[in-house]
Amino acid sequence: MSTPVNTRPLTLHINGRPQAPVDVPEDMMLVDVLHEYLGLTGTRFGCGQGVCRACTVIVDEADGPREVRSCITGAHWFDGKRIRTIEGHAKRDETGKIVALSPVQQAFLDHFSFQCGYCTPGFVNAATVLLEKLAKFPVAADDVEATITEALDPHLCRCTGYVRYYQAVKDLVLNTPGLVRENTR
Amino acid sequence: MTRVGWRRIVAWLLILLLWLLLMAALRFFANRGPVQQASATPQQLAHGRYLAAAADCAACHTAAGGAPFAGGVPLASPFGTIHGTNITPDADTGIGRYTSDDFYRALAKGEARDGHQLYPAMPYVSYKAISREDSDAIYAYLMNQPAVRQENKKNGVGFPFNIRSGIHLWNLLFSGAEAVPASQGASPPWQRGRYLVETLGHCGECHSPRGALGQVDRKRPLGGNNDLGRFAAPEITPAGLSARGWNAALLRNYLGTGVSARAVASDEMLKVIDLSTSRLDEADLKAMTAYLLGDQPATPRTVQVASGDTAASESGRGYYLNLCSGCHGRDGQGVPHVAPGLRDNSSVRDADPHNLIVAILDGMPEHDFPGRERMQDMPGFAQDLGDADVAALSSWLRQSYGGQPQGIEAAAVAKLRKSRSPH
Repeated sequence: MSTPVNTRPLTLHINGRPQAPVDVPEDMMLVDVLHEYLGLTGTRFGCGQGVCRACTVIVDEADGPREVRSCITGAHWFDGKRIRTIEGHAKRDETGKIVALSPVQQAFLDHFSFQCGYCTPGFVNAATVLLEKLAKFPVAADDVEATITEALDPHLCRCTGYVRYYQAVKDLVLNTPGLVRENTR
Repeated sequence: MTRVGWRRIVAWLLILLLWLLLMAALRFFANRGPVQQASATPQQLAHGRYLAAAADCAACHTAAGGAPFAGGVPLASPFGTIHGTNITPDADTGIGRYTSDDFYRALAKGEARDGHQLYPAMPYVSYKAISREDSDAIYAYLMNQPAVRQENKKNGVGFPFNIRSGIHLWNLLFSGAEAVPASQGASPPWQRGRYLVETLGHCGECHSPRGALGQVDRKRPLGGNNDLGRFAAPEITPAGLSARGWNAALLRNYLGTGVSARAVASDEMLKVIDLSTSRLDEADLKAMTAYLLGDQPATPRTVQVASGDTAASESGRGYYLNLCSGCHGRDGQGVPHVAPGLRDNSSVRDADPHNLIVAILDGMPEHDFPGRERMQDMPGFAQDLGDADVAALSSWLRQSYGGQPQGIEAAAVAKLRKSRSPH
């Protein structure tokens, strides 16, 4: 019944850098390749069914960044696409040492948003995509709350840290110039 | 003009006025009448409740989140949107003044109590064979439900279909049509099944093809209809079912629970299972399968996979492994409580690729089935995959898991993509 699955060379482009080609089984999901082949273990494997979104990574497409669930999407799908993972957010110096967190990461820390931290990579990626979208298409002040809810709603946090995730993102959206426009009403 | 001429005009106008007044008065009194009470024993009520489920009244008369049977469900039709009406015993907005005779006439003939003709969205052509006893039992059950005061919604039916008397002509042409049974049989379960499928369940309203004026084609009962909603209602004749590998046990599980090795229910069928067939007893479920498959069921066909790895099917397989296999399994075996298996799946095996293509384009919401079964939501791939990609993927699925050798053209995908409702 089971059909043999071959391996194929795959070159991924992650966090601004092309990776060395690796021979990856045709049916392997991206999260497994990140963990087992590339040593990028920050992306979390949660439910494995595309429900919890802990495994979310960012794919930068021509029309902007987009969340993709790495536990249900095959690694070979990302051939030729540009991926960002949780490892790519902080600023590093030339030796690779982290010198500053990204604004989203810092806001989550400042607000004590996470407890166990398992869902955090997914939340960081979702909030980052949201902020980058708002920079292009600012939202009316009245719609800020609904927009954040819509963006983060699919992400599950079993410690139920939702309120603080939400507060952190709201704080960041309201205090970053250019993300919010005047109400037109 | 002469004096006599003026008088004549005034006389005619008076007659016209009197006529209009008379009609208004008739209408007014038709809407009044005494409020009815229906007494029934608990057993009779339980029986009526069972029959109301078998006839799936709630599908159109109970709105999502609304009071039971208070109406308001929008039904899209090619002639405009029609709303299920309030059939609670409220005197003014419901059926509180209906006698059991009035109720039977509405069910079997499509005539409301005030004499106006119901749109055939009310399946009176299917219900016409309902037994008077069953009609009375449903009536007694409905009349003992809480009365809800809720005005009926205005229908969005445009000219000329909003002329209700036009439906009389339609009835004259179509409502008397002799129904041909969809299968061969004569056994008592088959007879009972015919009544459950064709009359109470009114399955043919969606599963039978329709003519230009929206009439069900009674000569091709249950022959399938892909022109009604976003998803097609597949052919469920004995030939159609056995071609897709259905047998009595699989059908019984599907109707009783919404889940079987051939398919899991979705879209409109999920509602049917939830509100109607999952509430039927074992004997009636068996009767329905006996009728659908016939007294001498054909052996369900097994999938014959034609080999031949063409370039197109290789790209289709790539899409499957990258975008589908995470939930449907590397070999199409599915994951319990997450996603149905696609190997041997009824929609993958269907000669008509309609539902497979729509599922790939649109995705599916998550499903809760009666009992504790559930399936996760499926993302749609309209954004990720172009027409040729979806065509390659569905062709590969049909060849590998469905034994359907002929490929899908990108144009077929484009057509279904275009008819996608924006949401």
